[in-house]
Amino acid sequence: MIAALIVLPILAGFALYLVPRSAELTAKWLGVLVAFASLVLAVLGNGQPDESLRWLQRPFSANFHVGLGGLGFWVVALLALSTICALVALRVPRQRDFVAQMLFLLGAMSGVFVARDLLLFALFWDLMLIPVFMLLIAWAPGRGGATAWRYLIYNLAGGLALLLATAAYGVVEGSTDVIGLSVGHGVTAIGAAWGAWIFAGYAFGFLVKTPVWPFHTWMPDTYADLPPAAVAVVSAVQSKAGLYGFLVVTAPLLPEQMRAAATAMFVLGLVGLVYGALVALVQDDAKRVVAYSSLSHLGLILLAVFSGNAVALGGAAVYIIAHGLFSAGLFIVLGQVEERQQTRLLSRLGGLAELEPKLAGALHIMALAALGLPGLCGFAGEILILTGLYQAGAVWPAAIALVPIVLAAAYMLRLFQRFMHGPVRAALPQRPDLRPIELLALGPLVIAIALLGIYPAPVAGSGATLTHPQLAGVQR
Amino acid sequence: MTPVLTIPWGQADWNAVLPLSIVALTPLLVIAADLILSRSLRRGACIAIAAFGLIVGGIVAALSWGHPYPAFGGGFVSGGFAIVFEEVIVAGALFSLLLAAHLGRDDQAGGGIALLLWSASGAMLMAGAANLMTIFLGLELLSLSLYCLCGLAARPTAREAALKYLILSSAASGFMLYGMALLFGATGSVQLAAFAAPPASPALFALGSGLFLIGLVFKLSLAPFHAWTPDVYEGAPLPITAFMSVVTKAGALAVLARFAYAALPQHNAQAILLPLWIVAAISMLVGNLGALAQTDVKRLLAYSGIAQLGYVVTALAGTTALGLRYAIFYLVAYTFMNLGAFAVVALLSHEHEEGSQLQSYAGLGYRQPALAALMTFFLLGLAGLPPTAGFTGKLLILASSVDAGYGWLAVIMIVGTGISAYAYLKIVRAMYARGAGAALQRHVRPASLWPWLGVAVCAAGVLVLAFYPLAPSDVLPLVK
Repeated sequence: MIAALIVLPILAGFALYLVPRSAELTAKWLGVLVAFASLVLAVLGNGQPDESLRWLQRPFSANFHVGLGGLGFWVVALLALSTICALVALRVPRQRDFVAQMLFLLGAMSGVFVARDLLLFALFWDLMLIPVFMLLIAWAPGRGGATAWRYLIYNLAGGLALLLATAAYGVVEGSTDVIGLSVGHGVTAIGAAWGAWIFAGYAFGFLVKTPVWPFHTWMPDTYADLPPAAVAVVSAVQSKAGLYGFLVVTAPLLPEQMRAAATAMFVLGLVGLVYGALVALVQDDAKRVVAYSSLSHLGLILLAVFSGNAVALGGAAVYIIAHGLFSAGLFIVLGQVEERQQTRLLSRLGGLAELEPKLAGALHIMALAALGLPGLCGFAGEILILTGLYQAGAVWPAAIALVPIVLAAAYMLRLFQRFMHGPVRAALPQRPDLRPIELLALGPLVIAIALLGIYPAPVAGSGATLTHPQLAGVQR
Repeated sequence: MTPVLTIPWGQADWNAVLPLSIVALTPLLVIAADLILSRSLRRGACIAIAAFGLIVGGIVAALSWGHPYPAFGGGFVSGGFAIVFEEVIVAGALFSLLLAAHLGRDDQAGGGIALLLWSASGAMLMAGAANLMTIFLGLELLSLSLYCLCGLAARPTAREAALKYLILSSAASGFMLYGMALLFGATGSVQLAAFAAPPASPALFALGSGLFLIGLVFKLSLAPFHAWTPDVYEGAPLPITAFMSVVTKAGALAVLARFAYAALPQHNAQAILLPLWIVAAISMLVGNLGALAQTDVKRLLAYSGIAQLGYVVTALAGTTALGLRYAIFYLVAYTFMNLGAFAVVALLSHEHEEGSQLQSYAGLGYRQPALAALMTFFLLGLAGLPPTAGFTGKLLILASSVDAGYGWLAVIMIVGTGISAYAYLKIVRAMYARGAGAALQRHVRPASLWPWLGVAVCAAGVLVLAFYPLAPSDVLPLVK
């Protein structure tokens, strides 16, 4: 049943090509149905026994081993939820082909989060590049495909480093069926000579995918050029794959190397945190504001991941889901603005709250969640991470991390203000407010944002259990 | 009265070469059919006879699996290793026939097909050749037929290709022959198996193996002996290009593997072979870098082939048992991916123009979605991306070269793969980008089922091998 999370969307994506090209609505709702089925499968499959089939015996043993539980479950649920909302809320040209690519993306990304074998993980890691590349070449206009190539080259470089590290891990350890195990509990500590290289390969793949400064330069363009419905899912989930990898792959399997790299990662995370927030303050393109804010937020999660503190890791898990929810919400709302106003530039919009009060309300909620208003999910994650960092003795990083959290309020409110307040721009086309179905599409996200803000314990618990005895020393 | 000359070969010797004998004799029937039959029947009949001969040869070869026998005094070793390569060669030749059925011209059916089969039988001889004489015999049988085949197309580039191939390939044969002479001088034997003993004259032996390897590497078109490949691939008719990209390489690789695994003294084998690994490394970089700038898909696949064979030779680095398995696995995966791509090119071809220009792919994703999706699948495979046999094959090669202590080759392979992604996905982008070419409606040759059959078989192969990596398990003992 867990394997169905991967197979069903991919097969459904191919089956969608049987629908005539002109039957756009049929394709859209079939896609929503499949994504909903994924959500149901994820809920039913949570905590079910793992499923495994033999793949390779030599040169190392590898299995088609999938399992669902803990943080992986929450991310898969987030993935299905954001796909549903994005597909319902937004219209995209050539809807049938688009929905098919989104379903491929859904299947491939589910694979990353349910894989219990490093080789299978690497397979899905590379596989999830392809639908995004296809989306970029077929739906992102202009610039001669530069965005698509940049996305591909960066992420493929990361993916290949990860693949080489996986091969080396398999050769050294004899098996790659080790996700969910930890050193001393089924796997042996890998010696310094190999461990450093293997960790470097994984870390490079994870840092590029997240992305963490200075590997982020593919990200603003990709987010700006992807159709809003796609970027909602990519920013919500694909960017979490790297952090998930650090938590689930390297922390348990290579704790020594994690500890050794902690200082460097703290520096990268902090730079990204401050840099992202500052750049977000001055962007004119609303999607780039959110893209750079992601860079900032993801830097904060990276700090938590490398703190090794149980509270901070709980916070990391909450913030991973929280960021997924509000960034999906933000990109969907920005997409709805762009659908109506044909622009998303801050300098050309204004006074939309008068014309489209429902749209303004939706953007308001998402922006508040993003800037960390207490009671919403962003706050729950931030406070846990900061507490954990402080507990772990990382006082200065915690103090520096406060600054961008304040800046988040500035850039999010700036975005909201420019869009919604002020005089109505005469040049803007008069468009109807959100239709009920578009509003309804945002409902699940809003409910999840509020629920996670009030009661983050289940998600936090899934993160806190990721602390392994060996990681206790990973402290700043 | 005793006979002047006794023939020491028995039934078992002839049985060992039965598959390739069938393939070598079928052309006589093809030529006879070409003479007798009326014009309208000719081409179909020739192709049918040739295909039948190849299939029978393939089946006979498969039946002798697991019965290694050193036929003709050790000149030709039948059994598992040779059979794997023979099957690849038969598959490649059958595939070229499929494309020829779609693209070939009526007036040259008989001769061209006969030459194709003779060339294939030469490659099959190389697959089992275990002494220097049979190696050279197989190589020349393979090459001489190919020189003619390259010039078959009625365009100036075809003649250029044929001449270029003839001159450069003859020079390589010269190198090889001189190397063979030196090897014989150093060891006093033409048997590969005899070379494993420490040679009387190590310096001469090293020089001889170097020259011998240069000849082989030329046939494999590895860098820096690759310069002929793009021109020849571009000029030759499409079915022949497809044939060369698989059959020649399979034959030469069989000889290379046998030489590397069974014909070198243990103590300095790695030293003698080190240049070969360096050549593989250069090929992975040069092939992929060269592919970047190509706008002709045949040229692109030529450069791609240079790099792909670099991957295969990388698997042999360290001459481990697993490495040989993975080299064969990757060769089979490459065969499927590469031939699949060639079949798509064939389906895009017109009467006077082969569908190899990049611009004829513009907007294909909207004109022929199924064909474009399959082409994407093959290109992803060649680029080593999942879910294809190329991904699994590359992972296996990476693991085995790390295991054998050739981590640097694994790193170069990763770098080469990263570069290649741009070259292959450039075609994908052309097919799916919304741009000027999307509206381009071209006349497409009436659909023929034959290349589609090839495409389907290749796609199935690429998918199955991705998840169920069959690799022949017991070939190593059969090399020796």
